Amino acid sequence: MPSLPQTAGADPAAAAAAARPPRRKELSNLQFALVVTVPVLLFLLVVVAYPLGYALYLSFHEIRFFGGYSAEFVGLANYKAALADPKFWRSLGLSLRFTVETVVLTIGIGLALALVLRDLKPRWRWLRAMIILPWAVSPYGAGIFFAYFGRGQTGIGTALISAFGFDGTLNLITQAAVIEYLALGAAWNMAPLVAFFLLANMLTTPKRLYDLAKIDRMRSYETFWHVTLPPLRFTLFVFTCISTVLALKTFDYIFTETQGGPGNSSTVLTYLLYQISFVNLDLGYGAAMSFFLLALILGTTGLIYALWGRREERK
Amino acid sequence: MSRSRYPVWLILAVAVALLWTFLPMYWVVKYAFMTKSEIARFPPELYPHAPQLAAFYNIFGFDYTAADGTVFPASGQANQIMLGLRNSLLVSAIVTIVTMVVVLPLAYVFARMDFPFKGKMLAAVLLSVSLPPVSTLIPFYTLYVQLGLVGTLGGLVIITLTITIPIVAWLLIGFFKNLPPIEAMGRIDGFSRLYIFVRIIVPMAKSGILVAGVIGFLFSWNEYVYAQVLVTGSDAVTLPAAMSGFLFQVPEPAQLAASLFLSLLPPFFIAFFLQKHVAEMNFA
Amino acid sequence: MTGIKTTRRQAVAMLLGATALAAGGLPARAEDLAASSGETVYFRGWQFRTDVVQGNVDRYNSEMGGNVDYATVTGDYPSIMEKTLIAKGDLDVLYANPSSAVRYMGGGWVKPASELPNGQEIADAMYPNIREAWSVDGKLLGLSYFVTTRGAMLVNMKAVEKAGMTAADLPTTWDEFYDAVYKMHEAGIENPFLPHWFAEYFGVSWGFVFEVMNRGGQVADPETHAPVLTADGPAGDTLRAWKKLWKSGIIPEEVLSYNEAGYIDAFRSGRYAFSPQQLYDIKTFNDPAQSADIAGSVTLLSAEKQSWGLIDSALYVMTNRKRSAALESDVEKFVSWYGYKDQDGTFAVANRWLEENMLFSAYKPVMESDAARDSVSKSLMKPEDYDTVLDVYASAPYPKSIWNVVWSEEFNFWLRDKLFEFLQNDLAPEDVIDAANAEMERLNKRYNI
Repeated sequence: MPSLPQTAGADPAAAAAAARPPRRKELSNLQFALVVTVPVLLFLLVVVAYPLGYALYLSFHEIRFFGGYSAEFVGLANYKAALADPKFWRSLGLSLRFTVETVVLTIGIGLALALVLRDLKPRWRWLRAMIILPWAVSPYGAGIFFAYFGRGQTGIGTALISAFGFDGTLNLITQAAVIEYLALGAAWNMAPLVAFFLLANMLTTPKRLYDLAKIDRMRSYETFWHVTLPPLRFTLFVFTCISTVLALKTFDYIFTETQGGPGNSSTVLTYLLYQISFVNLDLGYGAAMSFFLLALILGTTGLIYALWGRREERK
Repeated sequence: MSRSRYPVWLILAVAVALLWTFLPMYWVVKYAFMTKSEIARFPPELYPHAPQLAAFYNIFGFDYTAADGTVFPASGQANQIMLGLRNSLLVSAIVTIVTMVVVLPLAYVFARMDFPFKGKMLAAVLLSVSLPPVSTLIPFYTLYVQLGLVGTLGGLVIITLTITIPIVAWLLIGFFKNLPPIEAMGRIDGFSRLYIFVRIIVPMAKSGILVAGVIGFLFSWNEYVYAQVLVTGSDAVTLPAAMSGFLFQVPEPAQLAASLFLSLLPPFFIAFFLQKHVAEMNFA
Repeated sequence: MTGIKTTRRQAVAMLLGATALAAGGLPARAEDLAASSGETVYFRGWQFRTDVVQGNVDRYNSEMGGNVDYATVTGDYPSIMEKTLIAKGDLDVLYANPSSAVRYMGGGWVKPASELPNGQEIADAMYPNIREAWSVDGKLLGLSYFVTTRGAMLVNMKAVEKAGMTAADLPTTWDEFYDAVYKMHEAGIENPFLPHWFAEYFGVSWGFVFEVMNRGGQVADPETHAPVLTADGPAGDTLRAWKKLWKSGIIPEEVLSYNEAGYIDAFRSGRYAFSPQQLYDIKTFNDPAQSADIAGSVTLLSAEKQSWGLIDSALYVMTNRKRSAALESDVEKFVSWYGYKDQDGTFAVANRWLEENMLFSAYKPVMESDAARDSVSKSLMKPEDYDTVLDVYASAPYPKSIWNVVWSEEFNFWLRDKLFEFLQNDLAPEDVIDAANAEMERLNKRYNI
């Protein structure tokens, strides 16, 4: 991957060189690294390790609040119960379906937006600022937008068919396709950010590469494949990871958009966990199940890294 | 890229992109300017027929009298909306500053130095990105109760940092990796490592750092899951938690839309800023 | 007019088993209700007319020197409050539905209202059936916030007339009701019915419970909480009717993802002819400022042959967290002032709720006042509806069997999921009933009931 010199760097470097260099006792690489990273790691560990440890404790116990608080050690019973629970497997499936679709749509739409924005002339560059706006919307807000937008009662579908003179409703939040609709909304939310990073890559791809492509008489898809795409691959990899993690963790967006509905059609794993732990206070069982989710998130990102990230890093 | 006229496909594509971007937002934001009856109408109205600003007055605690004499009473949620606005700005600003102060050197070190245990330490930082809030919610809550942090801004800042630090670190590491190898030059000139970092690297990476800061800000500004549990009903309530009052029980779509619109303004200004720096933020 | 009013009111009083005696007790003196500790009393509620609540609290704070901190808790209210209670957080008085209150009591987090100095007087002022609904082991859990009927079958007469029907054709039982729905559909009304199938915790599951009870059934035994659902009884009839309705395709699927706001707005649009709604919402539906398209044409089905809906109520519940003696007494004073009578001896808060939002009260003197009649009548399509409203209100059943038990909310969520599964995955009614009975048995066993 070509590493491109950045002109912005020249000035401060020159200015700094002109200044008088202060001389002090130097730290080794490791010492410097430790000074910088250890406090942060400690902070994250303390703040994150306690909840994790506590969740681990919960997952081996049956917690009761009624008729007096009690925590009874049950070993692996909660984990076994989760694996035997059809609701768990169903929600797991919905989570995976939502995640795969969200990632594909986010990356695809992000790439499409970037290509559209790339060719704008200076006079129209402000459009780039417009297109990024959905990313500024909270997942929570996006859920509200897409709830009203998709419902047959209030949504765009019904508005359109009635504008063409048809009676009736066109509802986008259906048992069959609610996950797809949710994924579309999640992509709406996240794709602009992806687009911007890709755009930044594209704008620093040297023009001469395109000129060479012309000389070689490449077709436009060949140009795309051989010239446009290669410098984007690392960004694509990073955002595939980020949007995978975010999609698997998504809760508030679904909470405000469908409440896991219609019925149980969008009860993804996070939503199921929320019901078990938060609503039913079945803390032990919820904690055990949440470790499966954590394993899923780590496993998926690990897999993406092993299959793709390693190659990108070597370049 | 030197054609003088835009091809038709590009104009079409831009139009589609704009529709895709704005239609879902418009669909709800238009409610802010409509009456309850108009909002409920079926089939749905495409635009407000008599746009009015009642909802904006109401969410800030003022009654609004329409031209025909109808009074739209102030929302009882107004206190919380205003508190939420203040708290959200405060929390997001603090979180952003702390995140940047902490993450900049961290990302720099991971991106540009070699030292033992680097991979493991990086994995530890990134592990916290993977924790789903729904599974840590109850443990966090229990911890916070013991520490007296429920309903405090400080508590919310701490928990939000666990989200922003890893994400921002992830992005900045990629960005720093891509800078030219300037250190060697600086070292030859005898600058200290800190000096190189503060006076050379940071200015060089200005755009990328600002963009990463914006991203940190937005993650904090938009956080809802923890806020819903930790600060709802307290003086530390944030805007998303305060807003959700319009979502449940009694329908107030106009006020919901108005406060959503309000919550979009700060990020929108920031997005404009982000756009200016787009050419300089090559992270890969 | 006046004659009807009196007899009606008496009839209702008798239905509710009320005595004709007004509630006893002298008006409290101001100094008895004035705050003295200087400490903060934390009062939390869900988001409903927070402007009114804030006004009331402000009045207490200024007139009684109170230091009450009021805020709304948004989101998943009962769950969030439960966490606060478990944590013994800053919380003294809160709203709760009876089923939540029973659960909180089971958790040992509640100070019953019977322990107030004037607890007996307060209990005596309530209608006995409601007092009983709000009591566990003879202890009154809280003070009256509101009592209403959820699932009163509201009727949009515009749509009914469009289908060529008149008020005389309106159904009076659930079976007749479904017949009417199909008839209207054939007459060209695309969506005659918006059923109580929305996604909230008080949505589809409550819809099932009230239909079973309206048809004369029970979900469980009110005393032992042992399950009693039968496939050939009201529960089976309800599920079979639901299945037919769902399969007929006249119910928009999106109802299953609505929150309450979506549910109310859908009926407000005028698209539907019937919908079981909160009784007090008849006021918003008949208000031209809020519901221009149906205002003035919303009435309700008569309760002459059977009840509609169930008693939905809420209480002001005190927590039992550790407080100083002075603060304890402040909490008692505030809750008594707010949930019962103010320093002038009037039910100021309850009267205001009736006036502003048609929220009914558990207190006889509030409900049997002329002001109550005036305020309710203003919100109705026609004067005769006043009697129907009171009938529906008075005859609505209370599902004590599954609400006054500690597993109430757990079962409720289980039932919600199961009913969605029943509709979406086409389960057999018998299987759902068997599973529901088994689930109640499991819960009874788990909690040693």
